[in-house]
Amino acid sequence: MENRDMVLEIPYGTRDFLPREAAGKRAIEAAIAEEFNLWGYDEIVTPTVEFLDTLTMGNGSNLEPHMFKLFDKNNRTMALRYEMTTPIARVAASRMKEDKLPLKLSYISSVFRYEQAQTGRQCEFHQAGVELLGSDKATADAEIIALAISALKKTGLNDFIICLGQVDFINGLMKQCGLSSKEMGKIRAAIENRDLVGLNAIADKADISDDARSMVKEIPLLHGNREVLKKAYSMVNNEQSRKALDNLSEICNLLEAYGVSEYITFDLGVIRDFSYYTGMVFEAYTPELGYPLCGGGRYDNMLTNFGTDMSATGFAFGIERVMLALERHGLKAPETQRDVYVAFAPGREPEAIKAVQKLRMAGEACEMAMGPSTEQDAEEYRAGKGYQQLIFVK
Amino acid sequence: MTSNNMEYLTIALPKGKLFGLSADLLAKIGYTAEDLSEKSRKLVITNEEKKIRFIISKTADVPTYVEYGAADIGVIGKDVLLESGKDVYELLDLGFGKCHLMMAVDKNHKRAKLSDYAHTRVATKFPHIAEKFFNSKGMQMEFIKLNGSIELGPIVGLSESIVDIVETGTTLRENNLEEIAFIMDATARLICNRVSFKLKFDRIHQMTEDLRKILEMAK
Repeated sequence: MENRDMVLEIPYGTRDFLPREAAGKRAIEAAIAEEFNLWGYDEIVTPTVEFLDTLTMGNGSNLEPHMFKLFDKNNRTMALRYEMTTPIARVAASRMKEDKLPLKLSYISSVFRYEQAQTGRQCEFHQAGVELLGSDKATADAEIIALAISALKKTGLNDFIICLGQVDFINGLMKQCGLSSKEMGKIRAAIENRDLVGLNAIADKADISDDARSMVKEIPLLHGNREVLKKAYSMVNNEQSRKALDNLSEICNLLEAYGVSEYITFDLGVIRDFSYYTGMVFEAYTPELGYPLCGGGRYDNMLTNFGTDMSATGFAFGIERVMLALERHGLKAPETQRDVYVAFAPGREPEAIKAVQKLRMAGEACEMAMGPSTEQDAEEYRAGKGYQQLIFVK
Repeated sequence: MTSNNMEYLTIALPKGKLFGLSADLLAKIGYTAEDLSEKSRKLVITNEEKKIRFIISKTADVPTYVEYGAADIGVIGKDVLLESGKDVYELLDLGFGKCHLMMAVDKNHKRAKLSDYAHTRVATKFPHIAEKFFNSKGMQMEFIKLNGSIELGPIVGLSESIVDIVETGTTLRENNLEEIAFIMDATARLICNRVSFKLKFDRIHQMTEDLRKILEMAK
C-alpha cells in the first residue's frame, strides 16, 4: 500500500464524535436526563472500572469473555463496566442499603463490550437508563415501561413499538408440559438464540403429549394485542404462567392510564436473558434499524448476589442507536444554537470583549474573533459558520 | 433504501445451488417477481404489486444482510449461518440443500485415532465451526482458511485434513479422501431479522406457515 500521510488510529470499536455529532448526542442526552428527572429519578455515577469479580457476580460468566480487562498494581483483575445495572445493584446493596425504598436511579454513561462492532454499537457505546429498586409491584413495571416510551418520545422518535413479554409464563408452561430440566435448558437456549427450528426439533423429540408439544412451539408466536393474553391464558392451566399473564394484564391497565398503550404489543416470545430476568421483559423496535433500541425488565434475584434481597426493574437504551434511528427517519437532532459572531477592527479588542460578554450574559451563543479583520472577511466567516448575526466593532 | 422498510418485504437469496430451489419454493406461495433469475443484472428485483423485493447476494453475505435489516428475510444453509455467528431468527427448515459437515483425511495416510490429528493443519471454509468442534474434542488445530476447492489441501500438502460439507461423497472419493468424523447436518433455513420479525410479524408468520404447509405436502 502506498505510504500516505501518517494517520493516528484509535483502538478498534471506539469512535470520535465530531462537533455536529457531539451536539446531537448532547441534545438527546439532555432531553432524556430532563425526562428522568421529571419522573423523580436521581442520577447516579459509578466508576468506569470495577473489579471483575463484582461485575461478573451472578450471571457474569457469559459476559466475562466480552469484558475489557486490566490489572491493578496488586494484580487484581479489573474490568471496564459492561452495563450499568450491576454497578447500580452493587451500590444499592451496599452504600445505599439503609436508604428509604424504593430507590429510583438513572444514568447516562459509556459502557464497554469487547465484541464485533455493529449498527449503532461500537465496543464503547453510551447507554441511558433507569433502575427502580425495592418494589415488586406492577406499578413499578408499568412506570418503567411508560418512562421508556416517554424518554424515547422526548428524543423526537415517535415511530416505535414496545414488545412486552413475561419470563415466568414460559417457565410455568415448560413445567406444565412435564419437560425434563435438561430439555428446559435446551428450550431456553433455543429461544434466546432465536432458533425456532431448534425449538421445534426439541419439542418434537421430547417425551411429552401432543398438546404440550404444540404449546412449546407456540411460544414465539404469541404476538399481538391484548387478545394474545386471553389466548395464552386459555392455553395454560398452571398457576405460574397464569400469574405471569395476570401481571401483564395489570401492567397493561396501568399503561392505559398513562395513555401509552398504543405503543404496546404483547409478545410472549420476547426473551432477554433467562438467567437474569424474572418477570416482565420488553424491547423497543423501530423501522429502519435492524436492532432493538431499548431493552429492559424485572430482575428480582440480582441483588441477592450482593447480599440484599431487593426486587428490581429497569431499562436501558443505546444513545447511538437512537441517534441512528432519528437520522434514518429523517429527523434531525436539535441543532446547536449559534447566535452572534463578534469581530473587530485593529486595536478594538477590549470593546469587542465587552460587547461579547454582554451578549453572553443575555443568553446569546457567541463566538469572538481571535484577531482583527475587515468587516467583509468577518461577514464571510459568519456565514460559513452559520451564525445568525455579525457584530463588527469598528 | 431497504432496511426495515415497512411497506416492502425484502428477501435475500443466495447465488449458487440454493438459488433455484429457494426461488421455486417461494414462487409456490406467490412470492416471486418478474425476471427473478440468478443471472439478472439487476441487484434488486421488485414485485410492486405484492410489495416484495428480492436481493440476490453472495451466499456468505445473506446472514449479514438479514442481521443488519437490509433484508427482512433470507434463505441460507445452516452451515453458512452457523459459521457467520449472526444474530437472526431461524424460522423454518426448508429441507433442501441437504449436506453434512465433516472432517476428512488422506485415505493413504490415515492415522489411528481422531486425537492423533491434534496440532495438525486443517483446511476449511468453516474455521469457526471447525474450531468449536475440535475444542469439544479437546484438540487444538492450525486452521487454514480456504475459500473453495478445500479438497486440494491434503493433496498438495497444504494440510493434513479438511473440514468441509459433503452431499454425496463423490468428490471425497475422487480425491482419495475419507471421512473420519461427523460434525453436523445442514439444510437450507429461512432466516429473519430480529426487528422485522416483530414489526412485520403477521406478514412473516403467514409466509412461514404457508411455506410449512407446502413443505409438509411435499413430504
